[in-house]
Amino acid sequence: MTRIAITGIGIISALGRGKAETLEALRNGRSGIRPITSIDATALNCRIAGEVPPGSIEGEARAQDRFTRLALLAASECAEQAGYASLELEPHRVGVLIGTGLGGCETLDASYRRVYKEGSPRVPPTSIASTMYNAAASAISTAHQARGVSYAVVSACASSAHAIGLAAQTIASGQADAMFAGGADAPLTVGVIRGWESMRVLSIDNEHPERACRPFSANREGLVLAEGAAVFLLEDFDHARRRGRPILGEIGGFGATSDAGHVTDPSAEGASRAMRIAMGKSDSAAIGYVNAHGTATRANDVTETRAIKDVFGVRAGQLAISSTKSMHGHAMGASGAIEIACSLLSLNEGFIPPTINLEQPDPACDLDYVPNAARPAEVGTFLSNSFGFGGLNAVVMVRTAVAADLLSTTD
Amino acid sequence: MTRPEMEQKLLEIVRKEKSLPIESLGSETQLADAGIDSLDALTILFAIEEEFKISIPDDRARAMKTFGDLSNAVAEQVGIT
Repeated sequence: MTRIAITGIGIISALGRGKAETLEALRNGRSGIRPITSIDATALNCRIAGEVPPGSIEGEARAQDRFTRLALLAASECAEQAGYASLELEPHRVGVLIGTGLGGCETLDASYRRVYKEGSPRVPPTSIASTMYNAAASAISTAHQARGVSYAVVSACASSAHAIGLAAQTIASGQADAMFAGGADAPLTVGVIRGWESMRVLSIDNEHPERACRPFSANREGLVLAEGAAVFLLEDFDHARRRGRPILGEIGGFGATSDAGHVTDPSAEGASRAMRIAMGKSDSAAIGYVNAHGTATRANDVTETRAIKDVFGVRAGQLAISSTKSMHGHAMGASGAIEIACSLLSLNEGFIPPTINLEQPDPACDLDYVPNAARPAEVGTFLSNSFGFGGLNAVVMVRTAVAADLLSTTD
Repeated sequence: MTRPEMEQKLLEIVRKEKSLPIESLGSETQLADAGIDSLDALTILFAIEEEFKISIPDDRARAMKTFGDLSNAVAEQVGIT
């Protein structure tokens, strides 16, 4: 079976731009939720979000939509770490799969404002190419001259987890030697925030943004919208070893299922089935950590807890689980990639990232969510859960650098 | 507005949209030779329409190859001879 190595990681989120800032936040349980400054939010009920730190993307590729600019930044950091420029890769054998839930929101919002509010008869000619869901994948392909299989993957909040799983399968099937894979979303526009307000699932604590997102806590009030991007370079394992690159981790499995049920109400069955498929023949005892979807909505956290208990049985109580969304918020289609990056970066440094703001135990959420402080631990293999509206679930199993290396010496 | 004033304004717009240090564009200069591709040209046209509050018809826009074509089209719309 083809093994899939991770040789590059790039990330930008509310926690910061790049791996160093991200790790510092995860280690210290620092929240990145802050008052919204990228748009005029004064008229909104919800004026907080997991916005990337002000100033971190200004001046970058300004002709592109914000979600593409975020994706390009993450891809550049990833490419640099992977030694991509010096990669002896055939460009035709490298592709780009980028998940996004909402695509070019900023452009769409600005276009609609011109037409409907300002009564303008025209919108910028770049609006179509900037709004399209594959804008980020195309921009990365062009920037890094990746000429193989590339497209956008769309499955709401599971988009980037699906993209990473599909990219691994693309390499395993022999279609590519390496793939840029990840996700990007920039949903902080008035129209999108209004839509979420209407669903009444936002935690609107404008006075205390840092404690607004409280996954698994009895006093949780909902999710906090966020933006960001994370991109990995996935590579055929032997290919990566031959060129002597440090192996940062390994994609060990991928499980995708559909609830075929309610559009917004999650199903424990669909979630647990995805976890089982991702683990494949691996013993569930090998899993040392689960990065939960953990949105902090009433429905998700209880259902996900039930699903984890179903999969891990009596071991569920000993399993470390956390929701890093408590710190970076819910970056929609980018969340799976951001969370795999947060998990892998932390575990490779020897700690499990915490669930912050876990203030009150919820009897319906009674597992170990690594509350409020990072925990030193040696974990070899973890699951990352992503569940999207429309009942689409994607779970990725990942091995850390140490575990990938250990597997290589025993195979 | 005089024709030279208008052309100066056009040049400013081209410079801003392309972020290029374009000193001047002769009326015979092909836009493509100045590094302006088809999408750039559309973006520049858009900015010009906004600035001069005019609407350049599609057939004129499609036939535009040189800076002179651009200038003539705008001059016609704003009524400068």
